[in-house]
Amino acid sequence: MRAAPETEKRQFEDEALESLWELYEKSGSGMGTGGETVSLEELKSSLENAPALDGMHKEELIEISGGRVKFTGAGRLRARDITRRHRLAERLFADILALNEYEEDACRFEHAISPEVEEAICTFLGHPPTCPHNRPIPRGKCCKLYAKKVTPLVASLADSQVGEDYKVVFLRTPMIDRLASIGLVAGSLIRLVQKKPSYVLKVDETTIAVEEEVAKGVFVKKP
Amino acid sequence: MASESKSQLKAKAGRKTPGGGVDNQPLKRIALVGNPNVGKSVIFGLLTGKYATVSNYPGTTVEVTQSNMTLGGQRYLVVDTPGVNNLLPMSEDEQVTRDILLEQRPDITVQVGDAKNLRRTLSITIQLAEMGLPVVLDLNMEDEAMDSGITIEKEALSLALGIQVVGTVAPQRKGLKELSSAILSGGAVPAFNMDYGKAEEYIEKIASCLPPANISGRSIALMVLAGDKSLAPWLKANLDETAIENIESIRDECALKLGAPIGLYINETRLKKAGEIVPAVFSKVPQRENAVISFLSKVTIHPVWGVPFLLVVLACLYEFVGVLGAGVFVNFLERVIFGQYLNPMFARVFELIPVPFLRELFVGRYGIITMALTYSIAIVLPITTTFFIAFSILEDSGYLPRLAIMTNKFFNMMGLSGKAVLPMVLGLGCGTMAVMTTRILEGKRDRLIAIFLLALAIPCSAQLGVILGMLGSLSMKAMVIWLLSVFGVLLFAGWLAAKILPGKRSEFFLEIPPIRKPSLQNVALKTANRAVWYLKEAVPLFILGTLVLFTLDKLNMLTLIEKAASPVVVGLLGLPPKATEAFIIGFLRRDYGAAGLFDMSRHGLLTHVQALVSIVTITLFLPCLASFFIIIKEKGIRVALLMLAIITPFALIFGGFLNWTLRYFNVSV
Repeated sequence: MRAAPETEKRQFEDEALESLWELYEKSGSGMGTGGETVSLEELKSSLENAPALDGMHKEELIEISGGRVKFTGAGRLRARDITRRHRLAERLFADILALNEYEEDACRFEHAISPEVEEAICTFLGHPPTCPHNRPIPRGKCCKLYAKKVTPLVASLADSQVGEDYKVVFLRTPMIDRLASIGLVAGSLIRLVQKKPSYVLKVDETTIAVEEEVAKGVFVKKP
Repeated sequence: MASESKSQLKAKAGRKTPGGGVDNQPLKRIALVGNPNVGKSVIFGLLTGKYATVSNYPGTTVEVTQSNMTLGGQRYLVVDTPGVNNLLPMSEDEQVTRDILLEQRPDITVQVGDAKNLRRTLSITIQLAEMGLPVVLDLNMEDEAMDSGITIEKEALSLALGIQVVGTVAPQRKGLKELSSAILSGGAVPAFNMDYGKAEEYIEKIASCLPPANISGRSIALMVLAGDKSLAPWLKANLDETAIENIESIRDECALKLGAPIGLYINETRLKKAGEIVPAVFSKVPQRENAVISFLSKVTIHPVWGVPFLLVVLACLYEFVGVLGAGVFVNFLERVIFGQYLNPMFARVFELIPVPFLRELFVGRYGIITMALTYSIAIVLPITTTFFIAFSILEDSGYLPRLAIMTNKFFNMMGLSGKAVLPMVLGLGCGTMAVMTTRILEGKRDRLIAIFLLALAIPCSAQLGVILGMLGSLSMKAMVIWLLSVFGVLLFAGWLAAKILPGKRSEFFLEIPPIRKPSLQNVALKTANRAVWYLKEAVPLFILGTLVLFTLDKLNMLTLIEKAASPVVVGLLGLPPKATEAFIIGFLRRDYGAAGLFDMSRHGLLTHVQALVSIVTITLFLPCLASFFIIIKEKGIRVALLMLAIITPFALIFGGFLNWTLRYFNVSV
């Protein structure tokens, strides 16, 4: 089934804007407030449907002059959003769902989610600064709010504070059955007693010691 | 049970009455089951009067202990089982317990639980209920619960589950009467109304395929669904292949339907059910912790202060065992009691006997009294006893599992997890017990490495004490060289074994018990038990070893053997020929060999370098006969012989290497 022409057009524009964003990053010309340009040929070679660039030009998403391309204000904002959604999707697929092949799905996912879902994912992931390929994820509104607080909503124990109480959100470790057998399951309240030389946790009146690898697979949030 | 007369409630402690001394009623079975480290063994001791080792760490009991008791005219066989967190076994000690329930079906299951940890306790109760076993629930350690501000409405819990619930403080015998009368009432199957939702239809389907068993089909079906591999032999023995395949396909179907691991789903459902019951009967008012305990809990596992703390503990251990035990006590017993009184007295007594052969057999150079008994009772016994006292205090304090936190990284280098510190440290007490304790380790590979390292480089208390005694008369430098040698070998051998053996080490996971004040009574009882056990096990072997030497000496073969061994003992290790004797008897027990070296060193027959080389070699030398048999039992004769074939030449070569190094660099110790 083919997507409606309008959606298809929008998707193409998103891809083009994302490519342009990436080229900017690669060229190292800094992600300042505008002025940076990329050669039109280079952008065209990274796109499937290059002629449609003209349309984008007309819609004032990009400016083309003298074989160089640059964002307009509106184009820059949209490019930023789409890149952010793509990289958040990558984080979600790689870290939480533990998928190996996720690139294509991330490409489809980025077009499908609303700003609310985007914000929820970002918060859930703990406002990650980079994608799995180590490229920066553009900050969103939620990240700026978060910067004032101390902890992400959901983080692994390895990224949590010693001496604090947490609620377990989910577990991703081969030790899951062992942990369950002493009463540590999703929903349990735990305290992180210490991290070094081994992790020490308290669940109800039970204290257990585990190594960092296990602690990395225990995801918690503030109760 | 108000009508029960007092005399009926009195438990007759552990008296075996063969042939049914009380009356002709059949023997009823009681199994003590519960989470690890909740005090099952203490309750066992109270009920039967038989001492089962009690310590403050999970995994003290790895084997089944059983004994009789008589209660209200009824005879019972009480079985103490290893602690379980789940009746879906994840290690060999947990399987022991599940198999007892599966194969023996106790008439009454006394579940011992930690009153502080009701949710975990109830998740076991649920599993016992599913098996269809009559249960009496004993919430132990009520005093600790009270100290943490926890109250449990036992009547309400009893009403909710339809079983008797009693509370005990086992070391103080509190609540024992109530427990006894609850046992007399016979127990009841707890009522939980478990509902596994989407899995229910599959549970029923599998249950209908299963053969009749001692426990309910539903409970076995749940184990099968959860993917319990330890059940495979039982299934194979009771079902044909098509039935097993059918069951497996039902399980796959269920996994698909649930979309989650079934075992986890079952666990979570149980915990949820337990969690629903808890709030109605459990309340907690946070209390301030005892300052000393709270301080010790922190400092013992502190990333920085934990290390000096460990060093202080080791220094105290050395002072107590090495200086007081191996120095003061041994001197007194050997020089005064045996040297001045017993040996001369026996010498005079035997002089009256006109048979020179008998005289030499008992009081000669290789005499049963002058050698075997002097070594075992005057040298080794005071050392092991002081060690066992110190060790019991450590065990009961809860410090040992905390060591695992400190040493996990170190053990990782040897392909083990920090949990292995328990059998290793226990190996310093006795290698045989330690080999059995490796059952608490999760992977087969972990167990194999741990057993190998125990056999190679962990000296047992008797040997360690003798070695400490010898090191005490050398220098600090000698001590350091010995320590470095043993740790170096441990690390190298572990690292190598981890490289060679296929597979991956199990991840570190260990339950840490609270720091507790050791009970003087338990320390005394445990030490006495171990000392008696030592005498029973070691003295006969010491006598046997002496007889071997005596016979060899009489046949003039000792000098021949010394000559034959001289390339190794004299050439390689640079020791006097007489040291061969120590290695011969070292085959029987390493501590006996060490005691021989100790004796030589005290009589000035060894230079300092020789003393050091000889004790390093004997530390790494063969495991003693008893632990060799245990290794055969646990791992089979092939593995045991292979270990022997690796360890013996290795110990000698390493000793030679040390000898050469010390001499080449002209190190004085």
